[in-house]
Amino acid sequence: MTRDTLQAWLWCLAAVALVVVVLLVRERLAVVRLRRRITELEGLARDRDEALRDLAEVRLPALLDGGPAAAANVPVPPSLVGSGYALSLAAVIRSFTTSVETTRARADRTARNALKASMRALQGLANEQQLSISAMQDRHDDPAVLQDLLEIDHTNAQFGRRAQAIAVLCGSWPGRQRAASTLLDVVRGATSRIRDYRRVEAHSQVGSGVISRAVEPVVLAVAELLDNAARHSQPNTTVQVGIQPAHNGAAIVIDDAGVGLLDQEVRRAGELLSGHRQVEIADLGDPPQFGFAVIGALAARYGFRVSVDTQSPYGGVRAVLFLPGELLTRVDEEPAPAQSATPVRSAARPAPAAPAPAPAADAAPAVTPPTALATTANGLPRRRRRQLGAHAAPVAAAPAAPAQESAGRSPEQAAAMIGAFARGTRSGRAAGEPAPAARPEPAAPPAPAAEPPADEETLTVRRPPAAGTPSAGSRPDHEGNPAT
Amino acid sequence: MTAPRPGRRGLVRPYVITEGRAHPTRDTFDLVTLVIATGAEPGALSPEKDRVLRLCRGGALSVAEVAGHLGIPVSVTKVLLGDLADDGLILTRSPVPSARPTEPRILQEVLDGLRARL
Repeated sequence: MTRDTLQAWLWCLAAVALVVVVLLVRERLAVVRLRRRITELEGLARDRDEALRDLAEVRLPALLDGGPAAAANVPVPPSLVGSGYALSLAAVIRSFTTSVETTRARADRTARNALKASMRALQGLANEQQLSISAMQDRHDDPAVLQDLLEIDHTNAQFGRRAQAIAVLCGSWPGRQRAASTLLDVVRGATSRIRDYRRVEAHSQVGSGVISRAVEPVVLAVAELLDNAARHSQPNTTVQVGIQPAHNGAAIVIDDAGVGLLDQEVRRAGELLSGHRQVEIADLGDPPQFGFAVIGALAARYGFRVSVDTQSPYGGVRAVLFLPGELLTRVDEEPAPAQSATPVRSAARPAPAAPAPAPAADAAPAVTPPTALATTANGLPRRRRRQLGAHAAPVAAAPAAPAQESAGRSPEQAAAMIGAFARGTRSGRAAGEPAPAARPEPAAPPAPAAEPPADEETLTVRRPPAAGTPSAGSRPDHEGNPAT
Repeated sequence: MTAPRPGRRGLVRPYVITEGRAHPTRDTFDLVTLVIATGAEPGALSPEKDRVLRLCRGGALSVAEVAGHLGIPVSVTKVLLGDLADDGLILTRSPVPSARPTEPRILQEVLDGLRARL
């Protein structure tokens, strides 16, 4: 009995032991599996931490600094590829990028608008000041005063250019409508606006000019180039400007004897000068370098080209501004009285067919009304359209000229003569009288109040009295004097 | 003096025209001083000087007129004229003073004398 019981107990024990062993083994296996799993998950968590830290410390700051290109490709650890986590990371980066871009664009727009508005205000003031400086230059005959005025004028011109350049960069138009001018005058106009204007030497081999619409932008672009050239070269060197004819246009070549540009700078300059990329104010550095960006904006808007990638024979940079034929025109500035007079006449008033050799006194009033309309309230002449017509039409209008030629002195010629006479008298009086009381001129001269600006206007374009017969009329009393 | 060419005038500023100088090399210019081109062949000249020469080639012009034609201030014109005169390209003359009206009595005496001789 006891034996049986013992045996039974033994069996039970064995069975329990077996069960325990089996359980132990299973447990062991489970532990091993779990441990492996834990290690795996730890690795995954580490990767996620890593990726998150990368996002927070590297990628997003890079996005803030360098724009969207910095975070375009997002490398994730291999363990996370395809997981929801990686997709969420990408989504975070995307929305962050969008918000950064939006904010940046808004900030840039705000800065641009604020800058533009304030620069335009400054520009307006500079223009106003220039007018009063010009008036003072006319009024004062003392060389000492003139010297001071010239200096003020120079500073004011630079000031105006700076404001204008920034305004243009912010999307404003250059302003200042100007008459079509010769290329040499354009370069000299640009020279007027830089600090070291005495160092610029300009030579022109081209007689043509720049069309009215493009004068101011080209002047501004050349001024920026000249300023760069003068600023980056020794004060004792000159800046050589050559104006050369080119295929389908003309080129303004600016050579300086300065330090030149590094390859990297040339590349960046080329990018800015192409004007294809909208430049952000924040990209221009501190202090901002406006020059090339302004030129690029103007070049893209008006259709000329600028390059600075050649070396000048003097060692510095050679900047070339190429003006295509569309921006060039013929400028009838210089006398050639017969030629310049006729096209203008026929272009400006095709109909009149000047009936008879009208006496000058009769012809003058006929001219006054249209030009009087064209003066501003201040009596400043504003006769753009007519000059434009004169430049645009000369070829087409030429055949009409000979017919009128035989009709003797045209109203315009007569008006021009009288204008010359009136102006001479007036300038003589104005400068002769010390008291500036003569200045408030619109009211002072009783009869010809409206007439003089008109006369000068007509005179400006065709200016016949330079030589030949009309001059005899314009200055009858001086003609004889040298002979006596 | 209103500017003749509103556009062009403001473009090239006077200090560029005179290369920064305000004092003429000579002090002989007056508003009514007459200038006339000598006809000497000029070298390379700035556009303004070139125009002065062209203007003065047709006959004498007063300083005021030259300034008016060029559309630049008289004082600036004087600087240019001074340069041109130094280069021997123009001559200057003071205007001839208008003759003082002679007394009729003297004229009558001259006339009488002439009649007596003839």
